[in-house]
Amino acid sequence: MRRLRFTAILLVLWVAFGFGVNRFLDSRKSTLITHPAASVPTAVKPAFALPGTVYLSQAGHLYRFNAGRFTDMNLTSSAGSWVQPALATPGRLLVVARAAEFSDVYLVDARSGALVQKLTSNVAPKRAGVALNAWSFWPHLAADGSTVIFGYDGPKTGLTYEVHLAVWSGPLTGKLESKQWTDPTQYTGGDVNPVPLAGGGVIYTRYALNAQSQIVSRVATVAKPGAPPVYLTAEANDCGEPAVSPDGTQLAVICTSDTQTARMELIPLVNGVPGVPRVLVDNCLCASPAWSPDGVSLLYLAPADATGHFQLWWLNKATAFTPALPKQVTTNLDFDATSAPAWAA
Amino acid sequence: MLLYHRPVSAPEASSRPRRQRRTRPRRRVLPVIGIALGFVLSGALGAALYFSPAIAAAFQDFGHTIHHQAAASPSASAGSTSASASAAPTLLPAVAPGNAFTVLLLGSDNDAKFSGNEVLTQSMILARVNPATKQVTMLSIPRDLYVPLSSGGTNKIDQAYLHGGVDTAIATVEHDFGVHVDHYAWIGLLGLIHLIDAVGGVDVVAGNPVLDDFYPKDLGGNSPFDIERVAVLPGPQHMNGMEALQYVRSRHDDLRSDFGRSVRQQQVLLALRAKAKLLGVADIPDIAAAMTSQFTTDMSVTQVGQLLPIAGNVSLSNVKQVVLLAPYTSGQVVGAQDVLEPNWNLILPLVHKYFPPA
Repeated sequence: MRRLRFTAILLVLWVAFGFGVNRFLDSRKSTLITHPAASVPTAVKPAFALPGTVYLSQAGHLYRFNAGRFTDMNLTSSAGSWVQPALATPGRLLVVARAAEFSDVYLVDARSGALVQKLTSNVAPKRAGVALNAWSFWPHLAADGSTVIFGYDGPKTGLTYEVHLAVWSGPLTGKLESKQWTDPTQYTGGDVNPVPLAGGGVIYTRYALNAQSQIVSRVATVAKPGAPPVYLTAEANDCGEPAVSPDGTQLAVICTSDTQTARMELIPLVNGVPGVPRVLVDNCLCASPAWSPDGVSLLYLAPADATGHFQLWWLNKATAFTPALPKQVTTNLDFDATSAPAWAA
Repeated sequence: MLLYHRPVSAPEASSRPRRQRRTRPRRRVLPVIGIALGFVLSGALGAALYFSPAIAAAFQDFGHTIHHQAAASPSASAGSTSASASAAPTLLPAVAPGNAFTVLLLGSDNDAKFSGNEVLTQSMILARVNPATKQVTMLSIPRDLYVPLSSGGTNKIDQAYLHGGVDTAIATVEHDFGVHVDHYAWIGLLGLIHLIDAVGGVDVVAGNPVLDDFYPKDLGGNSPFDIERVAVLPGPQHMNGMEALQYVRSRHDDLRSDFGRSVRQQQVLLALRAKAKLLGVADIPDIAAAMTSQFTTDMSVTQVGQLLPIAGNVSLSNVKQVVLLAPYTSGQVVGAQDVLEPNWNLILPLVHKYFPPA
């Protein structure tokens, strides 16, 4: 009996040891493999609060970050994924709802999340075929308070492989696709990230082919619809994602120089003429800069660890000769890196 | 255990004191060895169960043999448009550890448009890895390159795999480019998606907006010939497997067509390299499980494991990316199909600058 008990105990120990070895190996997996899902913003406590209210997009949801906590704006998911918020008239936001094969611009109540108005209708009739759907991205309200500047790949008139985004504008209360501002280079993806200027022009990112048949990006301005682009950055720097300070004197851009790393640069603007660029954040995967309402600090998105999930970062005194070091605001979130934050006072 | 309980006979009992002195150490040691062996076996079983996906993959996906065909000399290939290699296949010695080697990376549309292994290679990247100098060179071979196939005739190079699998694809590259391929790795569409998802996605700087109104909806659609729209927005971002596939596969709205796609494929490969250096041995089963039946290579699991630290040691500045744009190639129409005519007089010196001639 004693031997039997001993044998049974030994068997249990053997099984436990084998199981332990198995679990030990499992515990040695890298975080890349285990990749715990990013938290929902409402479930985390950011490192610190920011003044005002910041609107951000994660996993198709739009969140309001105010007084140190996130709130899900609970926009209806039936329209698609909510991305690229921008401040509109007081208490209102322009937001893009991205469906599988088209996207539309909406006017949304910033407090309640209620849909105020659908500003575009980019879905094609089913029998027309999916290729006749259209995309609308990066809506911004112009300084006149009544015109929306945005990126648009329509109108679609026929089936062609060529599809590109261009800068368009239209009245907030009428047909949004009224005026085409830019004439994109074909088969490059086109003109993106339009940002209206106080003086009436638009800053945007223009893609074109260089002499070596490489696609390069340059930040450019256009004074009015159809006017030729005036470039603000060099071809070799591959800059894009412009963010203009509220007073119009500073331009933050993301540059990659045809590499797989990025840097955030600050370019002073004097009457629209670019000064000498300064690198604010180097050797990062930083994206989508956004100015504070007072034009002193910048928000941007960048990964903080090997998961590659984009977190919110704050760069105070961005225009100072020696800016503060960037501070990580959030941890373990996964913001949409192609949706710049919108920062309201 | 049985030895420990062996009954003792009478004659043995009579000589017990002396035998006890002789057998006591053995009686003590053997059970201890048995118990220890039990722990070793149970531990090995636990480890074997853990690595079972990798073990299954080792039999199924790894260690395939390349049957090399004798490559023609580069000079013989230059300017040739009709020659084809047809020598008897030979097995070449493996590359010594630590030595530079050349690997042919193949990617295919293994969707429902084709049956079994009869697929085109949408992506062919010839990579030279030098562990000593920590340098990597990646040459993207355009899929429309109009070349003599080792299986006979002249056609787009993506047809080589269709006509004779990996051996023909390798032999065609060896023959036409005058290089020796030491290893190959083939991956299907789903394999790429699963691999990227297994490592938690990749971090990529999308160099331009990638828009496509005629992107193949052959994964999960009703028909492999369905189309869908995709829009990958530009800039730094984190992509999951499906997003990364859209980024590397789309080609309709790129003026550089297959060349633009080749550049994007190399970007995602480099992003995967960045992830690979963070992986360890314990991650192999998940990687193997993710790519089951979507990946084959002639390398063993051990060899692939040895590549991980090499990937980690290579810095981006030591990665040379080569794409055969004009004047290395020129667009032509042969029959009813658009092809890329190679300019071997320019291509071969470029290739042999980075890849030793066969």
